[in-house]
Amino acid sequence: MFWDKTMETMEEESIKEMQLRLINETLTKAAGAPFYRNLPVKEVKTLQDFTAAVPFTRKQDLRDHFPYGFLRTDLAEAVRLHSSSGTTGNPTVVFHTIGDLEKWTDQVARCLYMVGVRKEDVFQNTMSYGLFTGGLGFQYGAEKLGALTIPIGPGNSKRQIWFMQTFGTTVIHILPSYALRLYSVFEEMGLDPKKDTKLRIFLIGSEPHSEELRRQIEELYGVKAYNSYGLSEMCGPGVGFECPYQDGMHLWEDRYFVEVIDPETGKAIPDGEEGELVLTTLQKEAMPLLRYRTGDLTSIVPGRCRCRRVHKRIARIKGRADDMLIINGVNLFPIQIEKTIMKIPGVGKNYLIEIKTENFMDKLYVKVEVDREIFEGTLAGLTSLQDRITEELKAEILVTPTVQLAEPGSLPVWEGKAKRVVDNRGK
Amino acid sequence: MTYHLSIFMENRPGKLERITKILAEHAVNIRAVSLASAGEFGVAKFLVDKGETAYQALQEQNITVSKRRILIILLPDKPGAMHELLKVLAENEINLEDCYGFVIDRGKQAALVIEAEKYPQAEGALREKGYKLLSDEELSNL
Repeated sequence: MFWDKTMETMEEESIKEMQLRLINETLTKAAGAPFYRNLPVKEVKTLQDFTAAVPFTRKQDLRDHFPYGFLRTDLAEAVRLHSSSGTTGNPTVVFHTIGDLEKWTDQVARCLYMVGVRKEDVFQNTMSYGLFTGGLGFQYGAEKLGALTIPIGPGNSKRQIWFMQTFGTTVIHILPSYALRLYSVFEEMGLDPKKDTKLRIFLIGSEPHSEELRRQIEELYGVKAYNSYGLSEMCGPGVGFECPYQDGMHLWEDRYFVEVIDPETGKAIPDGEEGELVLTTLQKEAMPLLRYRTGDLTSIVPGRCRCRRVHKRIARIKGRADDMLIINGVNLFPIQIEKTIMKIPGVGKNYLIEIKTENFMDKLYVKVEVDREIFEGTLAGLTSLQDRITEELKAEILVTPTVQLAEPGSLPVWEGKAKRVVDNRGK
Repeated sequence: MTYHLSIFMENRPGKLERITKILAEHAVNIRAVSLASAGEFGVAKFLVDKGETAYQALQEQNITVSKRRILIILLPDKPGAMHELLKVLAENEINLEDCYGFVIDRGKQAALVIEAEKYPQAEGALREKGYKLLSDEELSNL
């Protein structure tokens, strides 16, 4: 069951040889980007030489060298741009050439084929299209594979179900939290997805979730649910994917060089132990990234997979090495919230971010102290302040928060480093 | 300027009690109170006999308080009295931003407290119709 048998079943030694060659090609290519102009090496003799000589690239570097600091081709060669949310500080922008898109598409098709998706399938993609890569990435991969694709996007659960029933959807790409929410809509409509739909495969990802949650989705819908891993900096979805054995996500080593490091020391961590995932693109043309710190905490699953693919497997993502939050699949940083609210007159000095699970979905609360000096005594003034904070946050983080106004001095005051994010999901 | 005290507070048990405690401790007498809520939070308005004392005390306790200008209109405590008064305001196209009332002398005299958009016009129109407005001093001697 291979989309690309040669690549997928290549032996470890051959993978390493190929990686060394691709790393050297990538070093040459990367040197064309302003950020990588002064790389310490032009060529390496071994993979160990590469990790010893080349420094890490961080998300902050992408922001600091916005917008073109990592672009190594002429802008004319780039055909697509994807971007993270946000205008406070620079967003993370990624460019693709035609070749990059072809590789990405092929990679997603490889993932889908691996879990049993075929051209006869009907694929419904409930992820956001647009700048978020989860929409277009899967769209192109599924089309390449030949499945009928429904680019429905997120939301409107009844319409989702109508499409599933009308067109006999067999494969769906969905946030795990939304899968649970959607099930409750099936129930409300008096439907049982096991009997009333043809669903058989769920592709889940974009937010960290537990093994228990996956099993729950599989039982509720009577399907197989496969975990996926991706990030826009590498291309988007399709960087890693579970095979039918569901024991870790194969990370395509012909496309990426994989390291797991101690986020504090930067030292390599042995297989099986948890650390930060570091990836180097091996075939990217527009924007190669060298030793990019993903911020995602995981471990390499030791040993060889029964599916015969040698590509290393990473375990389910455990969390973040930095303070990035993932709210219903959307990535954001607390600093974006802070910068946005602090610009608004009427907002006091202290605030608190709380995330809860409500109706199976993440719900973001932003509690903001009111500035005593600016209070002019009307309820209308307060509600318009509340609305303004909500609107400005929504524009910045692409998530609609519930903004609560608090009395000055009512939120916890911290000595030293403030703990302004309370994550109560799943509690 | 006649004013009441407008206070921002979260809509939670004990929040209002904290205010009345401060007022009680400073021997401030409450003439009238009104509450408006927007769900999680709201605004309480207190009409008191010693406005400045109350304002200072609340500020010292870090309460988010502001003075809001009002008119306190005296009117007879009888059916139709409020209607007569509102007719004057409506005819002069004066919009009310907030309004509450209380009885001063049962069967004889009541007071209506208003926050309006156009104070000079409101005052002029009411005085012209013979309405008496309560001054700060009169309020503290009630």
